[in-house]
Amino acid sequence: MFDRIIFGDNQFFGINHMSEDKAQAQAERFKDLKAITDVIDIAYDCGIRAFMLNTHDRVKDICDHFRGNPERYADLVLYPSMPYAHKYANAVAEKGIFGALNEYILAGSSASEIVGMVVKGGMSLFEQDMLKVMQLLVDMEMKIFHGLNVKVVFLQNIVTDLLLGLKAKDAFIGFSSYLKEKYKVEAGFNTMNMPMLVDFLLECGIENPIVCSSINKAGYFMNPNKETYEKALNEKKFRAMAMSILASGAIKPKDAVEYICNQKTIQSIVFGASSRQHIMETKELIERYTH
Amino acid sequence: MIKAGLIGFGRMGITHFSILNTHPQVKIMAVCDQSSTMLRVLGKYVDVKTYTDYPKMLDDSDLDCVLISTPGDSHAEIVKTCLKQGLHVFVEKPFTLASVDGHAIMAELTGKSLVNQVGYVNRFNEVFMEVKQLIDAGAIGDVVNFSSEMYGATVLKDSKSSWRGKREKGGGCMIDFASHCIDLVVYLFDKPDKVVGSIMQSIYSSEVEDLVSASFIYAGGYSGNIYTNWSDETYRKPTNILKVLGTKGKIIADKHAYKIYLKESDPKRGLDQGWNTRYITDFGKTTRFYLRGNEFTNQLDYFIDCIEQKKYDNISSFSEALKTDIIMDEIVQDAARSLASDGATPGGSIIPKKSREKASMWKRIMK
Repeated sequence: MFDRIIFGDNQFFGINHMSEDKAQAQAERFKDLKAITDVIDIAYDCGIRAFMLNTHDRVKDICDHFRGNPERYADLVLYPSMPYAHKYANAVAEKGIFGALNEYILAGSSASEIVGMVVKGGMSLFEQDMLKVMQLLVDMEMKIFHGLNVKVVFLQNIVTDLLLGLKAKDAFIGFSSYLKEKYKVEAGFNTMNMPMLVDFLLECGIENPIVCSSINKAGYFMNPNKETYEKALNEKKFRAMAMSILASGAIKPKDAVEYICNQKTIQSIVFGASSRQHIMETKELIERYTH
Repeated sequence: MIKAGLIGFGRMGITHFSILNTHPQVKIMAVCDQSSTMLRVLGKYVDVKTYTDYPKMLDDSDLDCVLISTPGDSHAEIVKTCLKQGLHVFVEKPFTLASVDGHAIMAELTGKSLVNQVGYVNRFNEVFMEVKQLIDAGAIGDVVNFSSEMYGATVLKDSKSSWRGKREKGGGCMIDFASHCIDLVVYLFDKPDKVVGSIMQSIYSSEVEDLVSASFIYAGGYSGNIYTNWSDETYRKPTNILKVLGTKGKIIADKHAYKIYLKESDPKRGLDQGWNTRYITDFGKTTRFYLRGNEFTNQLDYFIDCIEQKKYDNISSFSEALKTDIIMDEIVQDAARSLASDGATPGGSIIPKKSREKASMWKRIMK
């Protein structure tokens, strides 16, 4: 069973789907690591134990902070999401897809690992086995969470949805099985196209998949539409996690939480907030409507 | 079923493939790219025929349409070849690297009933679409002045090895960024009657400009500016900012939201006197398949709809994109004239990064 409430991290990194102004203001507020860990501490002290983290550059610092204070965060559970695609976007633009992959894999690996890779995949790694490349990238990103309690590792939505469009079954199967075998954790998938993805994952033979998507009363970011989402929630066998439940502030918290809790098959709710009052309010609402 | 072929399988090509591959009325028959490594990877994991030679792909495959996402220097030749074969064409921006090529393509297109579209994706962004409606309907009165800006952190060092750092390959801030800015201007206000005060300046790149600005003058008695900088690391991702001042109000818009200021309330549109903010979530719709933004799916679905419905007056047609190419040519000429008249760099249009070093050396000597 997953944590009912998972604290999200988009607000720390200047990500706001609705407004570039708001995103900029958030990025300024959370410039210092302490501003981030202060909010995490408020959430933790409210009783929230589960945190979703994108593998953004700052996440490494946050994880160092967790590792440095093991008693403070004894019950911490992480739900990381990878890769943080913007990190790669500029390199891909400049060096092309293979150039960027090469650079990241080599930069993130020790000399002995590079020797290992050559043995494992040969110099023409990409041609032989793209899945090995994916494994190397997963290994690199997983280093950030070393020694911490990771429950589910999510594939970030741009990558998930790109692969969904390509109908690259092997990539989804490979990601799931590699995480299970090497890290003993389950794979999850973030998506902007939940119903289509759920159908595809079931077609791939991934049983009872973990899928995190925007789900909210207003129907925002629910593609193709809210009705198809509700149908999938009611009829398909998968583990649903809901994010963007407040639709970036478009719905009142009470209405938002009531709607989510009425969708009985939703297991976890991911929300991000920056103030003690909002964190407390949202958590209490979820608990009230869950019971 | 519409049969499609893709030429160019880089970042945009993959995005188009993914979006089109989920379209219920489209079958992607073949993909062409110069990278055989990329094609082997694609062929191994995805069910599609692959080619390294596009004429061969066109000969082998019985296609209805092509999507071209190759570097800009190859667009003119590929587009003409595809038109000759009677194919509907979607080509990524820029349309071509010089307006003379664009005119040649228009000549090839004349008399043919073929859907032609350029990937100026802002025309399919719901905020900019709504802003256009507001301006056209006179919500802010007569336009007085506008600015169209674009910022990004795409180039933060000299990228000589990449096509992005080479003008003849379609690199440079003008073609990559300013083209979007200028297209937005053409979309909203049409082509200006005069381009003045143009600046093309290098910040990091040795062979291309990293910053472009210019002023546009319209015979209708209004004016505007464009400013683009792809070497501004304060922006997490490429960002467009549009400001339009009218006789009755003002609009400030980006891809996610717009603010409108009105001197008097407009009850018909539900707008108050003073500032009103509208987020894309207030009026944007969902899409059948989302990847990187509704506008990417909307532009391709529109292209396919046009083919199915035999609609040839495209929102983002070749003739519209040619206007942007012509304006870009004018900016280059105007910037070169300004520099030549200073005697700074005769013949060139870019203020090179070296000149800043020289300037500071001069300042030191003068002290």
